[in-house]
Amino acid sequence: MNRRISMIIPLLALVILVAVPSLLPAQTYPSRPIQIIVPFPPGGVADLTARPVAAGLEKNLKQPVAVVNKPGAAGAVGMQSAAVSKPDGYTLLSALVSISVIPEVDELFGRPKTYKREDFAPIALLSADPMIVVVKKDSPFKSMADIAAEAKRRPGELLYSSSGIYGATHVPTEMWAHAAGIKMRHIPTPGGGPALTALLGGHVDILFSVPIIAYGQIKSGDLRPLAVTSEKRLPAYPNIPTLKELGYDVEYYIWCGLFAPQATPKETIKILREAVQKVVATPEFKTTMEKMNTPIDYRDADDFKKFWDADAERLIKTIRYIGKVQ
Amino acid sequence: MAETVQNLLLGFSTAFLPGNLFYAFMGCLIGTMVGVLPGVGPLAGISLLLPSTFGLDPTAGLILLAGVFYGAMYGGSTTSILMRIPGEAASVMTCIDGYALALKGRAGAALAIAAIGSYVAGTFSVVGLMFLAPPLARFALRFGPPEYFSLLALGLLVLGYMTGGSMIKNLAMIALGLLLGMIGIDHMSGYFRFSYGIVALGDGIGVVPVAVGLFGIAEILATAGNPVRPEVLKPKFKDLLPSRQELRDSVMPIGRGTVLGFLIGIIPGSAHIISTFISYAVERRVSKHPEKFGQGAIEGVAGPESANNAASCGALVPMLALGVPTGPVPAVLLAALMVHGISPGPLFIKEQPVIFWGLIASMYVGNLVLLLLNLPLVGIFVNFLRIPYRILYPMILMFCIIGVYAVNTSFVDVGIMSIMGLLGYLLRKFDFETAPVVLGVVLAPIIEMSLRQSLAMSNGSYAIFYQRPISAAFLTGAVIMILLALKPLIRKGMDSKWREALTKAEKD
Amino acid sequence: MTIDRISGIVLLVLAGYIAFETRVLPFGTHKVPGPGYLPFLLASILGILGILLIVVKEKSSALRSLKWPEGLHAAAIVGCCFFATFFIEVLGYRVTMIIVLGFLFGVVERMKIWWALGLTLGLTLGSYWVFNDLLMVILPRGGFGI
Repeated sequence: MNRRISMIIPLLALVILVAVPSLLPAQTYPSRPIQIIVPFPPGGVADLTARPVAAGLEKNLKQPVAVVNKPGAAGAVGMQSAAVSKPDGYTLLSALVSISVIPEVDELFGRPKTYKREDFAPIALLSADPMIVVVKKDSPFKSMADIAAEAKRRPGELLYSSSGIYGATHVPTEMWAHAAGIKMRHIPTPGGGPALTALLGGHVDILFSVPIIAYGQIKSGDLRPLAVTSEKRLPAYPNIPTLKELGYDVEYYIWCGLFAPQATPKETIKILREAVQKVVATPEFKTTMEKMNTPIDYRDADDFKKFWDADAERLIKTIRYIGKVQ
Repeated sequence: MAETVQNLLLGFSTAFLPGNLFYAFMGCLIGTMVGVLPGVGPLAGISLLLPSTFGLDPTAGLILLAGVFYGAMYGGSTTSILMRIPGEAASVMTCIDGYALALKGRAGAALAIAAIGSYVAGTFSVVGLMFLAPPLARFALRFGPPEYFSLLALGLLVLGYMTGGSMIKNLAMIALGLLLGMIGIDHMSGYFRFSYGIVALGDGIGVVPVAVGLFGIAEILATAGNPVRPEVLKPKFKDLLPSRQELRDSVMPIGRGTVLGFLIGIIPGSAHIISTFISYAVERRVSKHPEKFGQGAIEGVAGPESANNAASCGALVPMLALGVPTGPVPAVLLAALMVHGISPGPLFIKEQPVIFWGLIASMYVGNLVLLLLNLPLVGIFVNFLRIPYRILYPMILMFCIIGVYAVNTSFVDVGIMSIMGLLGYLLRKFDFETAPVVLGVVLAPIIEMSLRQSLAMSNGSYAIFYQRPISAAFLTGAVIMILLALKPLIRKGMDSKWREALTKAEKD
Repeated sequence: MTIDRISGIVLLVLAGYIAFETRVLPFGTHKVPGPGYLPFLLASILGILGILLIVVKEKSSALRSLKWPEGLHAAAIVGCCFFATFFIEVLGYRVTMIIVLGFLFGVVERMKIWWALGLTLGLTLGSYWVFNDLLMVILPRGGFGI
């Protein structure tokens, strides 16, 4: 009987010791430096969008916010590390549209998913650039209809380049080909730059390109833009029709958004959402994005989630349609 | 011509602005420090400084990054020569003869020749860039997948002459390197190959951990516990400078390296390291004393170092002339410009003369700054070798770990470096060359992708390789090389037939 | 048993293993090579080269003549490399380096304890300062935040 009592006291002490810290008022978030993981090498869209956001957040939250590049496997490495990181709000992720594509491709190949979309809680959408369809200036194609007609005449003969299989330029091309009922041959390259080089050298016929990369060539007249994949026309190219206008039900954006691991506490996410909202409204942020020719398309978490889910559905359908290539 | 001179004057006036001079100097300094770190090369250096350029004006930012770019290359040869650790992946070839020279006490000469060769190559390449950028860039665009494949096939053949040793063993090492290079996602089909579920291997094992492991770590593994440590001769001051003979021997290799490197650098997507390998092989082939290579031939340092520098400059040609990112380094430079709202394209040179010519002029300045910076530093660096090895090698290990980790912020790379280090050590013990493995790792993705892209373009027909003129030219070159290699054998055969005929004639 | 023979055997086994691993990848055809095509081809070439090494009578030293005087040292260094690999992100750069350098200076090289400690701490903290703070190369902090 005595022994039991003498056991209980240390046990109680232990319980109190463990319980007390969680009873104490929580240290206000943020109290440590925050890091934003960018799963791509420096200089890309996700990186260049994350940096002004990080700078703005630093001012708002009064804590250092650093951008950490974790490139690899078309983004899978960085995204996976963000998915399994501690959900305390100190690790965030700046990701592109490929976040929806990678788990689907994993499933297609029958391998365990690197991560799931549900592992992430959306904080905000930051930008949504569509793709622009370009051909060389001496190409016989003057409109999307021309390409579709030619492709119907010679199925599987027209060549298009892309920044990688199931990548950000492959998927919209196949979406359009599916909508137009044609078949073209795919020449994958290791990235957006090489894909453009392949088009410029005349080795392929068309490319669905990221607008920033093709901007210089379009301005100089070396490339002819035929259409954009957004819902509305781009302000930089007011004369270029959207694919929807031309009658194809295709909508695709290479968008960039901020995420946190799913289990992050709701209050922390709320603080982040408000901070991002303030940052996006600042004139510095606006000028920076303008200089980079990237239109801001800010949507808060709930709108973002709707956008993300709808977008993911479209993408998953296209991936399933593309299937395994070999 | 007059216009170019005018533009150049404009450029120099921009480059000599005190602010820009300062940034050029800072860039060179930081670049050298970063380059000395094993494995961390120009790309890492530029990526580090990219955020700092956002606040600067575009000319200054670009000058700063270009300085880092150059400095890293100069710094990379330092560790290659002094410690046989590639300061950047492309410096692998310099390790071989550079370190051999260091052991002979000629480290100073090697470092000096590397600096001089880099300076000459850099200056000539900038001239080439200046005058020939737009037309060269357009020509380079005509390189498509078939041309890449034929060029690399030719390159592999040229490399059959690369290092001494048994042909079978060299071929086996190239095959091994090619196989290692195929680890990762297959870009044509999306399959993960040989990655055993480790996502970080998705982009392949990377040339930096392989190079640092096979050369750097393997070197310490082989030397650290060795009771018979090769005594590094303490150099006297006059030993720091290259002898007249060495200078004379280096002239042609520097010239050949420059031209070779520049041409290979222009081709979008080619890796600089290829130019160093080909330069080494060419020097070995044309040398009157090929057996010196591997034991400390100054040509083996002069050629590859010049080629490396020229290739880096050549890589800027398509980027500046057309606005097309041709590799990871130009991509980051492009990003630096894009952040300021400048989209390089074919009109870049016309529309932004201040930036373009300012950059060109500052490259001249940067090259000069680096030469002046590095030559005196040679004396300091060489003293580094005098640190007792038992203190030196843990330091080297530490630098290697930092360098390899920093590339991708990934511990997986450190693991690859460790495995490669062990492999390199065993390969040395069993008398294999390790350089071909690095080459294989670099070439594998490009060769395979070019082959499959070409076949996709031609719908399965192999005729595409000889139907296109440039590709056909390379293939013809390859056939000629094979014939040349077989010539001695044919000679022998013809010799014996000739003798038979003679003997028969005498008998009759 | 020469070193060439044993290298040849190792290469042959390795080639066989790689060829075996490519079985899950689609081979494709000669006109449209699949992801398994070139690896299988190269593995076959490697295997043939391995056989050539075993068979061809080139002068090569006997296996027995291989000396390993630096073997223990090398093993220690390799051990340190793998330790760093697995623990650099768990313990953080500084703690890992202190352990590695301390081990190498103190145990392997048997330096006097004050020298070993001094060099270890100096190099670790110095390199951290130069690279993490000055050059902004992010070096990892471990689970304890160090």
